[in-house]
Amino acid sequence: MANELLKVKNLKTYFKTEAGIAKAVDGVDFDILPGEVLGIVGESGSGKSVTSLSIMQLIPNPPGEIVEGNIIFEGTDLLEAYRRKDYDVIRKIRGNKISMIFQEPMTSLNPVFTIGDQVAESLVHHKGMTPKEARDYAVKMLELVGIPSARERIDEYPHQFSGGMRQRVMIAMALSCDPSLLIADEPTTALDVTIQAQILELMLEVKAKTSNAAILLITHDMAVIAETCHRVVVMYCGRIQEIADVKTIFHSPQHPYTQGLLASLPKPGQKVRRLSTIEGMVPSLFNLPKGCSFCTRCSKKHEPCENVPPEMVETAPGHFVRCHLAKPMQSV
Amino acid sequence: MYSYFIRRFLLMIPTFIGITFLCFTVTRFVPGGPVEQAVLRYQQAMANTSEGGGGTSDSAMEQGQISEEMMQQLKAIYGFDKPFYIAYLHWLWRVLHFDLGTSDTYSRPVWDLIKEKFPISIIFGLTGFTLSYLICIPLGVWKAVKHGSAFDTGSSVMVFIAYSIPGWTAGVLLLMLLGGNAFLDIVPSGGKESGYITEKSKLSMFLQQGALAVDLPAEIRSQYPKLRDNQQISANHPAFAHVPSEKRFQLKTGGHADLNFVGRLLDSMWHMILPVFCYVLGMFASKTVLMKNSLMENLGQDYVRTAFAKGLSERTVIFKHALRNSLIPIATGLGHMLSIILAGSYLIEKVFNINGFGLLGYESLIARDYPVTLGILVIGSMLKLFGNIMSDVLYCIIDPRIRFS
Repeated sequence: MANELLKVKNLKTYFKTEAGIAKAVDGVDFDILPGEVLGIVGESGSGKSVTSLSIMQLIPNPPGEIVEGNIIFEGTDLLEAYRRKDYDVIRKIRGNKISMIFQEPMTSLNPVFTIGDQVAESLVHHKGMTPKEARDYAVKMLELVGIPSARERIDEYPHQFSGGMRQRVMIAMALSCDPSLLIADEPTTALDVTIQAQILELMLEVKAKTSNAAILLITHDMAVIAETCHRVVVMYCGRIQEIADVKTIFHSPQHPYTQGLLASLPKPGQKVRRLSTIEGMVPSLFNLPKGCSFCTRCSKKHEPCENVPPEMVETAPGHFVRCHLAKPMQSV
Repeated sequence: MYSYFIRRFLLMIPTFIGITFLCFTVTRFVPGGPVEQAVLRYQQAMANTSEGGGGTSDSAMEQGQISEEMMQQLKAIYGFDKPFYIAYLHWLWRVLHFDLGTSDTYSRPVWDLIKEKFPISIIFGLTGFTLSYLICIPLGVWKAVKHGSAFDTGSSVMVFIAYSIPGWTAGVLLLMLLGGNAFLDIVPSGGKESGYITEKSKLSMFLQQGALAVDLPAEIRSQYPKLRDNQQISANHPAFAHVPSEKRFQLKTGGHADLNFVGRLLDSMWHMILPVFCYVLGMFASKTVLMKNSLMENLGQDYVRTAFAKGLSERTVIFKHALRNSLIPIATGLGHMLSIILAGSYLIEKVFNINGFGLLGYESLIARDYPVTLGILVIGSMLKLFGNIMSDVLYCIIDPRIRFS
């Protein structure tokens, strides 16, 4: 497909620590189409957040560093500019064409500036609005994300808002410049369960009302994926294990890890005493197995798994799996 | 919120009484007080006269014995004749009427002494205080931004040195080295202005025109009976306008008062260099490190990442978003400005012989001049108590999260 919005090629982001080099993201390839909702799912430490922060070039350096790869956004190679130390390229895109919502709404807003100032800031910065125009636009955005009496509350400070309200403010802030890609890094993890669904719905609703931005949704919650995404990327230990559209993932998962994740979900109408789990622990990033990184926990482990790292195989159109068991689709 | 501050103001009253009662009681019971000192002086005087005059006085006087009656009189003079709690109430009553008593050593009202010395200390202290903020904030910010660089490490060495040397100790050292005693003679050896400016001094070029008092017209002269015939007066003297122009001449020598405005300014600044340096040194380390740590901590916060994610430049993120937050602990310190300055002035003014509030306090302690000591305590504790409230007010102004109730 030639018209993808964002193309990530062989992205490698490493963290240099005293214990050695942690390969948090080790060769990730995927792309996002305009307007689609792509989910990245995986356990803690699978590299999903680092992937999203790498796209925004927000990896704290040191210790982190994007060591290899290309991120092509609307035809511009962001990482090529990064390697040239031309940070203006990403600065013009951040908050403007690509914006981001973070996991912690409680601390992601600056405590000493008013909500209005913070929403208006990127409008003044990217759209060249006057502070007056930006303020009016900010009120409009806050109304759009469902903040009651936005015109009065715009002069309040973050501590006067609840967690859910702050995440709404973050969404308003992120979507105010009409971005073409919105990265949402576990946007509902820190929220009350009752608020989570509201926020997800709101994101999709506001996206439809504004520039119909593509969304890269990072989560560890398969239910969230089922609810919102078109396509899913499953990550484990810094590598993509499986990519498919959401129906395929839920109905015919190929990778044992994806199968394990799905098996651990409770199923409505089915009476079980205990939910099934994936045995074992995520291996340390400093000490990954030589072959498939999932081999330490895999129930279908066989001969080559421990020594030969599996390649990505396309099992059906658009369905990629990194497993020795996966059978490539028959070429016609 | 207002009720909070009203409560704070009301709480000042018992705090103030607590502080002063404790200190007042201590002055009543420690040995070596004014009565004992007066007795000692008397005994020394008696010993001297008996040696010199070969006195024929009775044996009690010879041994410097003081009669019970004299002792009672002495105690009455210094207010030691009543029980300490009664004396305290008397003292407090007078303080409430803005009467701090009369100094034993200066024989002047304590209020007048404090009013006279206070501005001197404030000029020195405030200059040092302002300068320390002007140096420490940019330095701390720069150290945080360049954390781990050679500049950061190098300046940390400076901070460690400054932290381990008290300001007044450095003052003694620098006075020895630069004040003409041992090595160089480029700063004055103390005081707040030059007493006498010789022809060799560079300041002599700022001396004004002058005249001899004898050349004043007689009727003007009679208004200033203190002027001696051969005494110089300068253009600053009110009588100078009456001197006939042919009698005026350019002064070659003179005092601080004979300099023109630029000269007086330069002379004062020249005297301020070392003391102000010591004030700055005293606050340098802690303030720089506080600024650096505060900014470092804020740079790691999530909202800084949000600001970067908005596409703002590093400069905007650091100086608008992070700095605003990290200045909060620094700015609230401003409330204690005056009490910090006065606390620092004791030893620095002693070292540089600056006739200010600190030196007054220091000497009153040495001489057991309790009215002055207690007067300074009253002023100091009032400033401290008001400083606490000021800090809270500043907190409310700069941090929207803080609301007292």
